[in-house]
Amino acid sequence: MTNTLNIVQAVNQALMNEMDIDNTIVVYGEDVGVEGGVFRATIDLQKKYGVERVFDSPLAESAIVGTAVGMAINGLKPVVEMQFSGFSYPAFNQIINHVARMRTRSRGRYNLPMVIRAPYGGGIRALEHHSESTEALYAHIPGLKVVIPSTPYDAKGLLIAAIRDPDPVLFWEPKRIYRAFKQEVPEGVYEIPIGKAKTLEEGTDITVVTWGAMVWDVQKAAQIVKDKGIKPEIIDLRTISPMDRESFVESVKKTGRILVVHEAPKTLGVGAEIISIINEKAFLYLEAPPTRLTGFDTTFPLPRGEHHYIPSPERIAKAMVDVVKY
Amino acid sequence: MRLEDYNPLENTQYSILDPSGNILKEEDVPNLTDEELLYLYKTMLFTRTIDEKSLSWQRQGRMLTYAPNTGQEAAQVGSAYPMEKGDWLVPAFRELGAWLVRGIPLKNILLYWYGNEWGSYMPEDVNVLPVSIPIASQLQHATGIGMANNIKGEKNVVLTYVGDGGTSHGDFHEALNFAAVFKAPVVFIIQNNQYAISTRRVIQTASKTLAQKAIAYEMPGIQVDGNDILAMYVATKEAIDRARKDEGPTLIEAFTYRLAAHTTSDDPTKYRENNEVEEWKLKDPILRFKLYLQNKGILNEELDEKMKSELEQEVLSTFAAIEDKSDTEIEDIFKYHFEVMPSQLEEQLKEYKSFLEGGK
Amino acid sequence: MKFEFRFPDIGEGIHEGVIMKWLVDEGDIINEGDSLAEVETDKVTTEIPSPKSGKVLELKASKGEKINVGQVFITIEISDTEESTITKEVVEEETAGVVGEVIASSMVIPSSTENIVVQPKATKNKVLATPVARKLAKDLGVDINTIKGTGPNGRVMKEDIYNAGKNTNTTEEGVNVKSESQQTYAYKVPVSEPIVVADERIEKIPLTRIRKTIADRMTQSRFSIPHTTAMDEIEISKLVEFRKRYKDTLKEEDINLTYIPFIIKAVIIALKKLPEFNSSLDMEKEELILKYFYHIGIATDTQRGLMVPVLRDADKLSVVELAKAVQDISMKAKENTIELSELKGSSFTITNYGSIGGYYGIPIINYPESAVLGLGRIVKKPIVNDEDDVVVAHVLPISLSYDHRIIDGASGVKFINILKELLTDPDKLLLRA
Repeated sequence: MTNTLNIVQAVNQALMNEMDIDNTIVVYGEDVGVEGGVFRATIDLQKKYGVERVFDSPLAESAIVGTAVGMAINGLKPVVEMQFSGFSYPAFNQIINHVARMRTRSRGRYNLPMVIRAPYGGGIRALEHHSESTEALYAHIPGLKVVIPSTPYDAKGLLIAAIRDPDPVLFWEPKRIYRAFKQEVPEGVYEIPIGKAKTLEEGTDITVVTWGAMVWDVQKAAQIVKDKGIKPEIIDLRTISPMDRESFVESVKKTGRILVVHEAPKTLGVGAEIISIINEKAFLYLEAPPTRLTGFDTTFPLPRGEHHYIPSPERIAKAMVDVVKY
Repeated sequence: MRLEDYNPLENTQYSILDPSGNILKEEDVPNLTDEELLYLYKTMLFTRTIDEKSLSWQRQGRMLTYAPNTGQEAAQVGSAYPMEKGDWLVPAFRELGAWLVRGIPLKNILLYWYGNEWGSYMPEDVNVLPVSIPIASQLQHATGIGMANNIKGEKNVVLTYVGDGGTSHGDFHEALNFAAVFKAPVVFIIQNNQYAISTRRVIQTASKTLAQKAIAYEMPGIQVDGNDILAMYVATKEAIDRARKDEGPTLIEAFTYRLAAHTTSDDPTKYRENNEVEEWKLKDPILRFKLYLQNKGILNEELDEKMKSELEQEVLSTFAAIEDKSDTEIEDIFKYHFEVMPSQLEEQLKEYKSFLEGGK
Repeated sequence: MKFEFRFPDIGEGIHEGVIMKWLVDEGDIINEGDSLAEVETDKVTTEIPSPKSGKVLELKASKGEKINVGQVFITIEISDTEESTITKEVVEEETAGVVGEVIASSMVIPSSTENIVVQPKATKNKVLATPVARKLAKDLGVDINTIKGTGPNGRVMKEDIYNAGKNTNTTEEGVNVKSESQQTYAYKVPVSEPIVVADERIEKIPLTRIRKTIADRMTQSRFSIPHTTAMDEIEISKLVEFRKRYKDTLKEEDINLTYIPFIIKAVIIALKKLPEFNSSLDMEKEELILKYFYHIGIATDTQRGLMVPVLRDADKLSVVELAKAVQDISMKAKENTIELSELKGSSFTITNYGSIGGYYGIPIINYPESAVLGLGRIVKKPIVNDEDDVVVAHVLPISLSYDHRIIDGASGVKFINILKELLTDPDKLLLRA
């Protein structure tokens, strides 16, 4: 049985499905209880599971994550929300110094089956700080998993996998496409493995790696280049850490060319890592320099300048053509 | 005593024994057996012995940076003693006395300071978290553990520690706030040893006491003479009982003094006068309790010496089992980040091992 | 013009409201900012001000009725000079987000094909090569995917690419020449010091690809094959005579009869007698590869530099056919219409510097062949004949360079002797051709 959901609804259903069968899951954060979250991701959860399992917390990101650490140590599975990924930084101390380390620090005696969810990314004409893409900061830290879905089907399957993972997962949801489309999603539980990318389209001329909302812009760009006879292979990374290196390495062995597309700023972004991996694993197959198309090394502009920042399908298409014609 | 009757704004300290071991309030003296009293004393001695030896080893280059507990033995041992099986201890890093009470093997403790993560591997029935270095961050973990107990319907209590410096940190406030909002069964112990490295307590906050910060969060706060082991025991026990009865968290300020340096890399003579230290030595918690026990007739010099000698032996032999035998296994560096090692870690481990084996 | 006012998300993250009270009636003239209605939401009860001035057309919800964010709840007649609103597409969900605008749409995207077994990727059989090697291959016009690599893990090295330029696909001939591509430099050219010309009266010309290739090939040949050259003069008066007799006839067939076809014929007979002159030496395998096919390269000077078009299976062509073939192929080379395949695969090369006036030369072997024949210009010279008379004769000077590792001086002389015998007396050439 399936239903047609958008990403927000898929997240909501994932939480409901899991909370139905696992009563150690607790959901909390700012405004997630009564209101159901500012994006409605947790709507109706409190009604269904009660205020003990789904509740609003005081406004304190550090404590939201810090207490989740304690809860996870003591046998619960907290799924906490950062209202926007740009507000996760007060909890950075807890995330880097404890969430990422508790297992290795205690040599496995304590592990944290917890999830930190947050809407992330730009493109919604919002105020400052609400458009961040800093997944690279977190993916750089050993001990953390960072997952970014791009469709409702993936969002639900990956969130369920994240909840079931015995280790901490940062589940960053691309808010620009929260409600942009719907998709058939099974009503029951299913998992999509964390650490596995997905090839959206097979091609022969160039490998394009991307994730989150940019998947849609890349697909639009693919349409443009197909008219010019270029056949791109598109890979949705889905998990930033641990990365499915094999997916794009094998693809580049076939195409000889790679373009990474991400919203986040260029320098030291995840694209740099992907290209380094290509260098290590597929150097001798390259026909053109591995290339990345990203946001600028600037702060995300306010709404009036936002449209310049996120790479447009036209820019992506041009980059693809440039790499193919190298 | 009753926590609710105590008003931290009055800036008084709760105590039972004076510095010479004389009873101040007969009715407050707890009902402990002679064995239990001797256990408390021996544990304080143990704490001090371990400290002395570790400091000495560090100066000999046989031990890494060490944070001594000298002068704070009563605050630690007295507060941890009333805990029950199943209760959680969430330390900062200067709670040796409490760790010993809660059953962390000495080997683990020494291994931690010696620089090997296995020191933080707690035995199965020991509900103690590893040392937490980011100041005050552990308080949030304690609150979370307490909140989980409520959700699960379990009656365990959480005891957590922070220093006077830590009370300035945002994490302290967030943790207490959450704990009170959610009525978490947590007892927050501030070891106010008057110094955060070189920063005197008066610089840390304009509040006259640290205990009064509890008022803002709507929980009981009490300032206790931290060098009075019986007072620490009584106050903490009441707070623990409160928590276990679902009456919520408590803040206890243990007013004590850091007789030694912050760590072995610190030189206190740079920021404090020796006569201050000498004054506080007169209030030494171990001395005080020794006098009390001697007055009570359950301790004499012979027994004292015997204890000291046994404890010293144990420390020496435990360290001998660790010294020069505790290098970290290469696999251990990689194995414990996730339940399943991701492929890039496997690769890196393999590469490194191949390098060590003289591979290409 | 009709303006549809949709119930806005007034920034509290609400998604619906209830009309508590209308503050205007249909037909009222209103100004921008006037309160239209009192609306109660989860969070607040608030008045909604009008964004436009105009006349109230229709109240689309009644008192006490619930309205959703995005739903049209009042229409206003505005003047045409006012901009009309951009009617958003029908939004069924709330666009709650507390800041910003999350676009909501009911568009349905294709279902996931996650659990469908995806066909295994068809990987092209690609060679391993560094980007530098790939560029070299591209510059030389060689398809790198057809080259067998001799580097680590089968990597295609630069030498392999050079060699591929001369590789013959000889599976039809049945001779395995795979090992040709495995031949490598025996000798590495030492790196020279940088050249500094301390004078301004210079012009710096960047090397063309072709020139660079020629330079590399010459270096490779000269530095890996120990050359030795034998020279002689061949008296060809009778051949000259022969040619004169038939030159014009062939001219009518548009064929220019030169001496080259005769020389090729003579060379092939010599090659058949002394096969080491038609071979390649593989020092790595310590093998001498004798070739029993006769593809003769004719070194040709073109505007772009030296090119060596190849006459394949020259032994199967008659003199006339050879004449035509040489003519054609030289033309193609000069006009640059020659195909890459026609520049590859020679087993022996002839270079005719005599055509532009040269006499003696010390030609460089066309690596990885084992010998090359240089032809000088034919001159009239006094010679002493068998009767001890001094007569005027036509003399063709030749220079034969060969790989001294496999061909001794005696063989060199023998080769030349064969050429001499055949070219001095065309009858003998006819006999053996």
